[in-house]
Amino acid sequence: MLINLQANENPFLPPENVMEAAKKGLKNINRYSELEYLNELKQLLADYNDISPQRITLSPGSDFLLRDIINTFSENRKIITINPSFFSISHQTLKFANKLIKIQLVPQNFILKPELILYELDNPTLIIIDNPNNPTGAVLLDENLIENILQSPNALLLIDEAYFEFSKQTFAGLIEQYPNLAILRTMDKAFSLAGLRLGYLLAGDFFKNKFLDFPKFLPTPTLFAGIEALKNPEYVFENVEKIIAEREKVKEKLHELNIEVFPSKGNFLLIKSNAPDFEQKMVGKGILIRSLSEEWLSDFYRVSIGLPKENDAFLLAISLPHKMKG
Amino acid sequence: MKKVGLIVNPVAGMGGSVGLKGTDGEMYKKAIELGATPITPQRVEDALSLIKRKELYFIVAPDQMGEKYIKKFNFKYEAISKIEGTTSAGDTERIAREMLKKGVDLLIFVGGDGTARDICNAIGFKVPVVAIPSGVKMFSPVFALSPYAAAEMINSFEDRFIEKEVLDIDEDAFRENRLAAELYGYLKVPKSTTLLQGKKESSNVTQSEEHVKEEIADYLIENLDKDTLYILGPGTTLNTIALKMQIEKTLLGIDAVYNGRSVGKDLNEKGLLALIKKHNKVQVIVTPIGGNGFIFGRGSTQFTPEVLRLIGSENIIIIAAEDKISKLESLRVDTGNIDIDKSLSGFKKVITGYKKETIIEVKC
Repeated sequence: MLINLQANENPFLPPENVMEAAKKGLKNINRYSELEYLNELKQLLADYNDISPQRITLSPGSDFLLRDIINTFSENRKIITINPSFFSISHQTLKFANKLIKIQLVPQNFILKPELILYELDNPTLIIIDNPNNPTGAVLLDENLIENILQSPNALLLIDEAYFEFSKQTFAGLIEQYPNLAILRTMDKAFSLAGLRLGYLLAGDFFKNKFLDFPKFLPTPTLFAGIEALKNPEYVFENVEKIIAEREKVKEKLHELNIEVFPSKGNFLLIKSNAPDFEQKMVGKGILIRSLSEEWLSDFYRVSIGLPKENDAFLLAISLPHKMKG
Repeated sequence: MKKVGLIVNPVAGMGGSVGLKGTDGEMYKKAIELGATPITPQRVEDALSLIKRKELYFIVAPDQMGEKYIKKFNFKYEAISKIEGTTSAGDTERIAREMLKKGVDLLIFVGGDGTARDICNAIGFKVPVVAIPSGVKMFSPVFALSPYAAAEMINSFEDRFIEKEVLDIDEDAFRENRLAAELYGYLKVPKSTTLLQGKKESSNVTQSEEHVKEEIADYLIENLDKDTLYILGPGTTLNTIALKMQIEKTLLGIDAVYNGRSVGKDLNEKGLLALIKKHNKVQVIVTPIGGNGFIFGRGSTQFTPEVLRLIGSENIIIIAAEDKISKLESLRVDTGNIDIDKSLSGFKKVITGYKKETIIEVKC
């Protein structure tokens, strides 16, 4: 049985009451989800984020919101994003966008130079950045840079805060002030609901107005589990603290083993290994990690934080000499 | 049944341990005198031991160029050709051509940059290769990262290939601690796909290398200015551009175009300077060479500091497929003139596809 540390999932199941709520949602699957429950979920998310429910758009997965935003706003705009990141920006979209510019992040610090974005704001631009960044774990944005971007009439800024519960940093407080800001969120990660897919958007006025007529359905198991989770979110905070503590423990141990590892604000760590075929060798030892050599630099790997015993198994595997898997 | 050729350069890599930086020409004899022992047998056998694919039929070079190693395993094979006395570059080329005639689907070779050049001379793009690294100099991106990676390619190759550069350095210069890498050509290698991708985060649909080149070429051509001299550096992406512009291009040389007409082929420094001085607006289009991202100073030494000074850093257009550029921490320049290198440094945009650009730092 392989230990899966490659998808940044939460290793903890949600509590029983949340799973029961999902099951309850199965009872009416011949019906569309009811507006009453959709509004209840929105209100709970509004309370959770201290924002008006009118600014919230629900979606079965934040990637669909991202796709809708790109489709809706890319026409005659430049899109600026960063590499590495896992936004899927389709070829189709580029038919309408002026162009797609990626900014290459590099070690040691993965710093996003503000001027590289600010210089581009001479014409309409949609900027898409995840903060903290997946897979580096680096925090790329600060309030100063964001306000500089948002003050440009040419800029639309979409921040993906999928790992916000782990980084504890959000720019949701700027939504009221800036119509050109939107923030993507998900309940896949900290809320342990990856299998149900629940994403949402916190939208500044400009985004909100264009999103008013989007369909607002969610699968009922997802909807009911989301409501139940937000009614009693204490498990989220407890699990997040456990994962952060494990992350720091793993990081320390990797340091001791002389393995290059980078600071992370997510539920994962970025590591570097020059060992040839490192990913395959780890598979040989029963551990799945994510190689980044396909889309980014070779020798870099992302390891999700799992249960304590899974993390220990990973540390043991990485500390043993690598033998060729025949 | 796939027919696979195997050619081993038995002396490759011997110079390394005795500090000779290569065994091209007669240098291997000196390596033996200095007590060097062959390192290729281990490399070949490592790779062969990891080949699990059943339906392979090997066509191998004789004796220490192939048969000696394969007969320790249970593969179906036939040995072809003959070698007399010590092996040479000529043997590698000749046997590679014979394998081509035998209709191999893939050619495995073991050696270093010099061996890659010999194979490139013999077969070009006609069949794909898997290159097992065993040299002292292995600057060519054509080499697999390890015998394991090579075996993985052999186990899984079907019909998707990408081209990789064959670079070689001047060994005499290298022995004097000067690095002068030149681009010698291209070979096709199997495109290896990571078998264990994450469940959700699939990267964007991968496009064929040829398609990406066409995209870059289309985008670039749409944005060309009139009355501007365009100087095209070496490389197959530049070749695609030339093809679309319906002009002839030398693959490894530097050519020039003005208002859709070819105005210079395989230009050296003198030729470049003369052309540049004749035109008001000049732009250079280049692509990074090799896995290390050099845009100037490797592979195209005709772009001398003087040529680059006249052109000006603001007139340089960099193009490269996205999957090449995304694997680099930076682009590099090393022209031999620090002032020119500094003027070329900083954050630059690279055209990576149709309406696609990547911003990356150029360092010196």
